[in-house]
Amino acid sequence: MSSYGAALPSAARGILSSCRLPLREKSMSPAFSVFQQIRGVKNNPQAKGKGKKKEAKTERKGPREFQQKHLKDMEQFALCDAMRYIRAMEVGREPTVSKYEVHIRMRTRKDGPVIRNMIRFPHAVQTESRICVICPPGSKQAKDAIAAGAILVGEDEVFEAVKAGKIEFDRCLAHPDSLPALNKAALGRILGPRGLMPSVKTGTVVEDVASRVEDLRGGTVYRERDAVIRLPIGQMGFSPEQLRDNLRTTIESIKKDAAGLNDRINKEIYEVVLSSTHGSGFSLNGEFRTDNSPETSALTGV
Amino acid sequence: MVNLFKRMRKLKTILDVRVGTGAAIFPTLASANKEFPAVTRLHLTYAQKIYGGHQGARHFWRRCLPRLKYHNPGVKMTVRQTEEQEGPAALTIYFAERVGSTANAIAGKNQITDKHAPAPEASERTAVVDVKNLTWEEIWSRVQASTGAEEVPATAEDQAEQKKLQAISEKAVKDRERIQAMRQAKRDQERMLAEARGEVEKLKTM
Repeated sequence: MSSYGAALPSAARGILSSCRLPLREKSMSPAFSVFQQIRGVKNNPQAKGKGKKKEAKTERKGPREFQQKHLKDMEQFALCDAMRYIRAMEVGREPTVSKYEVHIRMRTRKDGPVIRNMIRFPHAVQTESRICVICPPGSKQAKDAIAAGAILVGEDEVFEAVKAGKIEFDRCLAHPDSLPALNKAALGRILGPRGLMPSVKTGTVVEDVASRVEDLRGGTVYRERDAVIRLPIGQMGFSPEQLRDNLRTTIESIKKDAAGLNDRINKEIYEVVLSSTHGSGFSLNGEFRTDNSPETSALTGV
Repeated sequence: MVNLFKRMRKLKTILDVRVGTGAAIFPTLASANKEFPAVTRLHLTYAQKIYGGHQGARHFWRRCLPRLKYHNPGVKMTVRQTEEQEGPAALTIYFAERVGSTANAIAGKNQITDKHAPAPEASERTAVVDVKNLTWEEIWSRVQASTGAEEVPATAEDQAEQKKLQAISEKAVKDRERIQAMRQAKRDQERMLAEARGEVEKLKTM
């Protein structure tokens, strides 16, 4: 195949290419060589059309909502059946390490607000969370916080420990009275990336530090990421009834959160998946047990 | 979001939990007899590394125990991985009330002791099977013989599904080769084009 560009003497080609420069940069990707670009744009009207189409495509935005497929093809399980499989997959694992997890998928917009909250389960998922409280040392709050189970309480000593790189806690709370001192200490660069920096927005700057500490010790923090909320909801030894209670609490609290958002924002639960640390995910159909599932007492313990 | 069909395909691995070696039901309190009393618990101890004959025990855990657990959800099964390579690799079977003669014969006279196994309750009797230097199939046949476990035959649907999955995995090998060849051809052509272009540039600058 011969083209005009190729047939022209090299000097003319040089002139041509200089004329075409602005047009070319707009419509074609820079990966092509100079020689081919001239040929394509000049002689091939189809290529021009293609380039325009591409531009139009980049302007259009994707779907506003997270895409969620129909679940009619999905095999779904009753809670007891899912637990039977998961327990088989987790056999012989350390029962304190393996946990049941739940993944709650939402139907929601991509740019809307996200759910972010904390719950206390009726049956505690044993998580050793170490809590640090920043409040004036010697105050009433400090004593209460220690009584509630915080491991590190104070102002300057905490700041120094953090600056020295010793972060021996998983959660950090602060009392409003210590907020100026906290800001002065400039710990944001250290604590911020770890998600430990107390702030009013995340609810970690509170008046009643002690009750918050208690909540945190028994509670689990969850948040929505890419339209899914994932959180551990039970130990391997839980009975189906215990797991059901925890699951019910979780779903109720998430529904409440969703209802508490702005009126115009519509969030609803779309699928609930039960899985575990080493097991696969089982989509739940909302039933507790079927005729084939074993006795609930058989699904308890190690 | 993960593709629904990919998820479904992955979930089909639960078939492995239902069907295969070790898919058997232990005698329960209702179906127990003198020779084969009910099984209440299992405990497996082996060492971390495979040398010293600990390989079979680990494979038994990975391959057979999930199926046993699926078909006997009420039987407690624990596994302990020790760091003592010289230590025993032992499978302790806990029977209700008594130990059958087959189980005694398999356990042998010079019983090994497994200090990591939980102590039996008052109504439980134990038989400790030495599983050192045994393959997992051998361990399974011993367990089956000493407990009188009844194999659960695969249902027709399960068999059909197994065949289907096997066909898919066979096809996957062929497809993988085909796609690899295609991608290689494309890469070769691109390289050739790049080289040719390089030569044109060279000619231009000359």
